[in-house]
Amino acid sequence: MTRDEIRATLLKCLTDVAPDIVNEEIEDDADLRDELDLDSMDILRWVQGIHKALGVEIPEEDYGKIASFEDAISYVAARV
Amino acid sequence: MSLRGVQGSGEHGRVTLDDVEGFARSSAAPAIVGGRARISPYARRIAVERGIDIRELRGTGPAGAIQARDVLSAKSSVPEAGKPASPTERMQRTIAAAMTRANDEIPHYYVEQSIDMGNALAWLRQTNATLSVSERLVSGVLLLRAVALALRKHESLNATWQGAEALPSAHVHVGLAISLRGGGLVAPALRNTDEGSLGELMSRMTDLVSRARAGTLRSSEMTSATITLTSLGERGVESVTPIIFPPQVAIVGCGATNERPWVVDGQVVPRPIMRVTLGADHRVSNGHQGSRFLTTLDRLLQEPEKL
Repeated sequence: MTRDEIRATLLKCLTDVAPDIVNEEIEDDADLRDELDLDSMDILRWVQGIHKALGVEIPEEDYGKIASFEDAISYVAARV
Repeated sequence: MSLRGVQGSGEHGRVTLDDVEGFARSSAAPAIVGGRARISPYARRIAVERGIDIRELRGTGPAGAIQARDVLSAKSSVPEAGKPASPTERMQRTIAAAMTRANDEIPHYYVEQSIDMGNALAWLRQTNATLSVSERLVSGVLLLRAVALALRKHESLNATWQGAEALPSAHVHVGLAISLRGGGLVAPALRNTDEGSLGELMSRMTDLVSRARAGTLRSSEMTSATITLTSLGERGVESVTPIIFPPQVAIVGCGATNERPWVVDGQVVPRPIMRVTLGADHRVSNGHQGSRFLTTLDRLLQEPEKL
């Protein structure tokens, strides 16, 4: 799976969780909490969506490693 | 504005006003690069509220990011008087009317308590480690359940004001305040919040938040809450002084959970402390009752396995 394909999948999962976020506005280095305004509930639902779509399980203690969209792409890319 | 990078054209390379103005013009980067906009959440919210198309803005922040001042200085396209209001505008007006009524009619009183969340968070970590991703819990569900169980013991706070008296509610329906990224706020009810397992409550809360974000809440959910829980801790604030949603007679506000020095068994140790505020209607309850409610809430959160 290429990095672009992972990005597209993560973006789809993110817009499922937060349909009011427009895809084109998401910068890869955007901080999920501060810039995209996601809360812990949104993050959990996103993590659940990623697990369902790609089979990658992100444990709670690793949430700090997916602080930005780019971090999450790298995290998933290393495990998919 | 940083002068780093400004080439001085004056005597001995001195930076002149023309140099600064020229630098400002040349460094005004487009806010949208490759189809994506750099914009802060606050600026985006203002743009949505004012009906401003961010694609038409030039950002003055770092790397051309759009900041609140860029949006505020842009020409608004909000409908003028007589034109139909957008759903967000209608929601804002409804909230404004309810809050104005609450402020005018309800004699609020407030009591606060700092609660040690160490046990609750440790239990949550241990429990989540044993659950599948789809079954994980968030701390918000513990708060919801604890508030609901505390209300069973303090019924004067679980009521609605009808005309000239408070009518106690036979059930506990905690309303969950959910802010919408477009700028609105809703507080739909999780019916019978004191019943069922935590897993079931988590499932219902997830569904409620999803539908709130998608704008598909049922009208009955918007009117059946008997108390509201608002948590702004994730936004960093230490405490919340909330306004009651009429016809409810109480509201619970939670601030951030932060590490604080705390005395345990005579020793000062760092503990995750959360400030909880109860706002209540003085026509229905008093500070003594409100304090007892918060004490019960604290006790419940010290035994999360029983929630």
